[in-house]
Amino acid sequence: MAGPETKAVAELATASSASLPTSRQFILVLSRLWAWAFLGLMIVFFVIAVPVWNDGSVNFLTLRNSQNILVAITPVLLLGLGQTFVIIGAGIDLSVGWVMSLASVLSALAIRSAFNAGLPLFPSVIVGFAAAVLGAGLVGLINGAIIAKLKVPAFIVTLGTSFIVRGVALLMSENTTVIGLPADIRDYGSESLFYFIRGEGGGLYFLAPPELTGEMLRRMDRILAYPVIVTAIVVAIAIFILRKTQFGRHTYAIGGNLEAALRTGIPVDRHIIKLYVLSSVTAGIAGFLSTLRFTAGSAVIGDPLLLSSIAAVIIGGVSLFGGAGTVMGTVIGALIIAVLTTGLVMLNVQSFWQFIVVGAVVILAVLIDQSRGLLVGRRARSRHAT
Amino acid sequence: MTAPILSIRNMTKRFGGLTAVNSVNWDIYPGEVVGLLGDNGAGKSTLIKCVSGVHQAEEGEIYFEGRLSQFARPMDARRQGIETIYQDLALANNLDVGANIFLGREEKKLYVGGLIHTLDEQKMLNEAKATLESLEIHFPSLTQPIESLSGGQRQAVAIARAIYWDARLMIMDEPTNNLGVTEQRKVLELIRRLRDKGVPVILITHTLPDVFAVSDRLMVMHRGRKVTEKKTSETDTQELVQYMVGALDDTKVQ
Amino acid sequence: MLKKLFLVAVAALALAAVPLTASAAGKIKIGFLPGVVDPFYQVMQLGVEAAAKDLGLEVVTQVPATWGVEVQTPILDAMIARGDLNYLITAPTDKDQMIGPLKAALDSGVKVITVDTFLGDGNYVTGPVTFPISYIGSDNVEGGRISARGLAKAIGGKGTVYINSTNPNVSSVEGREQGFAEVMAKEFPDIKVLGPDYNLDDMNKAAQQTAAVLEQNPDLAGVFGTNVFSAQGAGTAVVNAGLGGHVQVVAYDATKAAIELMGKGVVSLVLAQKPYDMGYMAVQFAVADAAGVTSLPRRVETGFAIIDKDNVKDPEIARFIYQVPGQ
Repeated sequence: MAGPETKAVAELATASSASLPTSRQFILVLSRLWAWAFLGLMIVFFVIAVPVWNDGSVNFLTLRNSQNILVAITPVLLLGLGQTFVIIGAGIDLSVGWVMSLASVLSALAIRSAFNAGLPLFPSVIVGFAAAVLGAGLVGLINGAIIAKLKVPAFIVTLGTSFIVRGVALLMSENTTVIGLPADIRDYGSESLFYFIRGEGGGLYFLAPPELTGEMLRRMDRILAYPVIVTAIVVAIAIFILRKTQFGRHTYAIGGNLEAALRTGIPVDRHIIKLYVLSSVTAGIAGFLSTLRFTAGSAVIGDPLLLSSIAAVIIGGVSLFGGAGTVMGTVIGALIIAVLTTGLVMLNVQSFWQFIVVGAVVILAVLIDQSRGLLVGRRARSRHAT
Repeated sequence: MTAPILSIRNMTKRFGGLTAVNSVNWDIYPGEVVGLLGDNGAGKSTLIKCVSGVHQAEEGEIYFEGRLSQFARPMDARRQGIETIYQDLALANNLDVGANIFLGREEKKLYVGGLIHTLDEQKMLNEAKATLESLEIHFPSLTQPIESLSGGQRQAVAIARAIYWDARLMIMDEPTNNLGVTEQRKVLELIRRLRDKGVPVILITHTLPDVFAVSDRLMVMHRGRKVTEKKTSETDTQELVQYMVGALDDTKVQ
Repeated sequence: MLKKLFLVAVAALALAAVPLTASAAGKIKIGFLPGVVDPFYQVMQLGVEAAAKDLGLEVVTQVPATWGVEVQTPILDAMIARGDLNYLITAPTDKDQMIGPLKAALDSGVKVITVDTFLGDGNYVTGPVTFPISYIGSDNVEGGRISARGLAKAIGGKGTVYINSTNPNVSSVEGREQGFAEVMAKEFPDIKVLGPDYNLDDMNKAAQQTAAVLEQNPDLAGVFGTNVFSAQGAGTAVVNAGLGGHVQVVAYDATKAAIELMGKGVVSLVLAQKPYDMGYMAVQFAVADAAGVTSLPRRVETGFAIIDKDNVKDPEIARFIYQVPGQ
């Protein structure tokens, strides 16, 4: 491969300007980490402010509270994980909220039918999981196919399917909550890996707490609820796929420069379909977990969560233009939203102030993303979504 | 006369009502640089996209290295050794040098009997480093996204990618477009050296001085048709311009 | 009816014991978590705060921005996690889905009183759910019955009427729909009932749905809006269609907007619940429970004020209109 032409290319490379000065590089690194810093500052703020405001009777960073926060981020984070992949690939999925609702309804109906038909509890729950994931995956398949093959912008397609999915969910649930599920499924939805009993006669228990009543029950904290574990596993898988596999790299490439991806032979159409199936499936898992937690399927449960999931993704540093972002960023984004809500409740501030603050943080995130682009002289990219 | 490395017979490509390439016949021989000229909309880009698998011609045949070839996708053309460097370089700005060189053909490590794979980033980094070193290119960092590199540096990455994959025919679409004078000269030198190595180069360009600097033969297109094919030494700028604007047309002269 | 009077009497007696023992119970802290931001719950909050002031204790209030278990539950969890609440007064946003989260609250040592909506079937003695201290709210089924009779009278005993409602599986509106349909079926066989449609607590949707029904049934005689947003939305649709006065609207919940519409002749009957009473009594119950009282009634039905254009100016009646000072 070496040869005289090599010298020409070398001269070509060195003839042009050098790369960025260190001060700029420092700012770049900082811009990637700001969300972490913001989260840290917020936690510190609440740790100090909450006891002060409540005359010492309430503490922020208790074991119970931190576990609550982990449980609270589960639905938003699951929706956000799928959304992360799609947005890095320069698309967007506006249907995830309603897909979650549909999955909740499907899994509730499936669990109820299976259980009433005589299937024991655990297999019924598995049937519910399958119903949720398959139903959701089907929607993702349709989304991806229309976007990839018919070249309709993702914004429009997913908006359209979100209405259809909403209709189907309301239809299948007959416009009401799907109830009549075996109450024991709540165990899967809110039980945890560990139980810790504070104070006298206490201790750490694994998998099953002793039968408790009254005062001792009050001192019991749940650690690592099952939904949190499921979400953590999904997060780990998502990080692996995005960072370590060809699929992840191709996702970045498609989002970074669609033409380049096409010309270098990446099977773009198939890849796009897979991205939308991914985001729908994570929404399906979220819907399934919600059915377990509330022992009922609800056709309206995902609606308020769509915008929160997008906010989490943007705060986490995923660029809406595609080609940039990380899973951990989305995790931080979801945590910021949840810590904010909880902290505000503990400060007796009305929780809808959270919307104002989250909105401001989202705008801040976009501004930081824009200025980072200016610093590196970002070039215009082609996008396949609005 | 050796056999042509690339033969195009009666190629026609339409987009709806527009005929972008109209019944073109063309041969490229090993060891030559051939210029492809024409005004905007003449059909040059479309022609080479049909050769590189981005488009599929409605009519006509392509013979590469003597075999009738059909390139349904860009990957098929690349596998045969046809490497194309497009005007926009087809680089992913958000990925690093190694990722770009291996784009679409990443090296993988397999686990669990082939069920799970991860990117073999170490191998790709090593290979990229080796390639760049053999080309005596030094980038400050091989792991930063390439969007922070200059035009010339990114051109170097695109060329390095093509060279790494052992091009047997190099197609370059307006390679000197966004470069400064010094860099332009160096690209032309590179093209000469590729030719000396036996790699034929099709050079699409607007810049007539480049054609005279580097090409052995040339072909001019106008409104989708080939209007002339000449040895570079047997023509001059004025004549070429006439062909490009359609004032002269060899196919109409009987 | 007699049974109700008896229960209220018992409640009154139990409460009479409260001021004496409040100080003995020590300082308790109460959490208040209604369903959503609307005038009904705002008046309830006034009642809660008045009682808190009178009895000298602290209340922590959080009002969800939208109606739904996925919004109410995280706020509930955060309130419980504070660790300093003894009682929680709440309007559960779903009578089945909120059982789990509220039971978890009880397990953490926070006793629950439900207001306006109940869990399970509302019977905390022999029903499927028995852990809340009490349910204090309107007898919504009776309210539905009253509305039905009022609407039937207004339209002359025959014609087509339409129900516009908010959320399915919420005990309060369900009861109203039930009572309404029951009376119409039994006492007014000449009246045809359309709906209910669910506007999910969105006034705009209520207006759209009503407008659509008006289009489809040009001879529609009456509309029953089962709560604040339904009534206002439906009323707006009637006005926009130019049918104010021709289509009779019965509104559940006496917001100022509903009363205004009555002034314009659009709404013929307004059912005012007594959210102030619900809020005030809930706090009293908490204090009583903390003081060791065990005879609190498990269900208290607060009454209605039935407002029509004849009595709307009467101050005794008008005071039940949902007004928040300063608005």
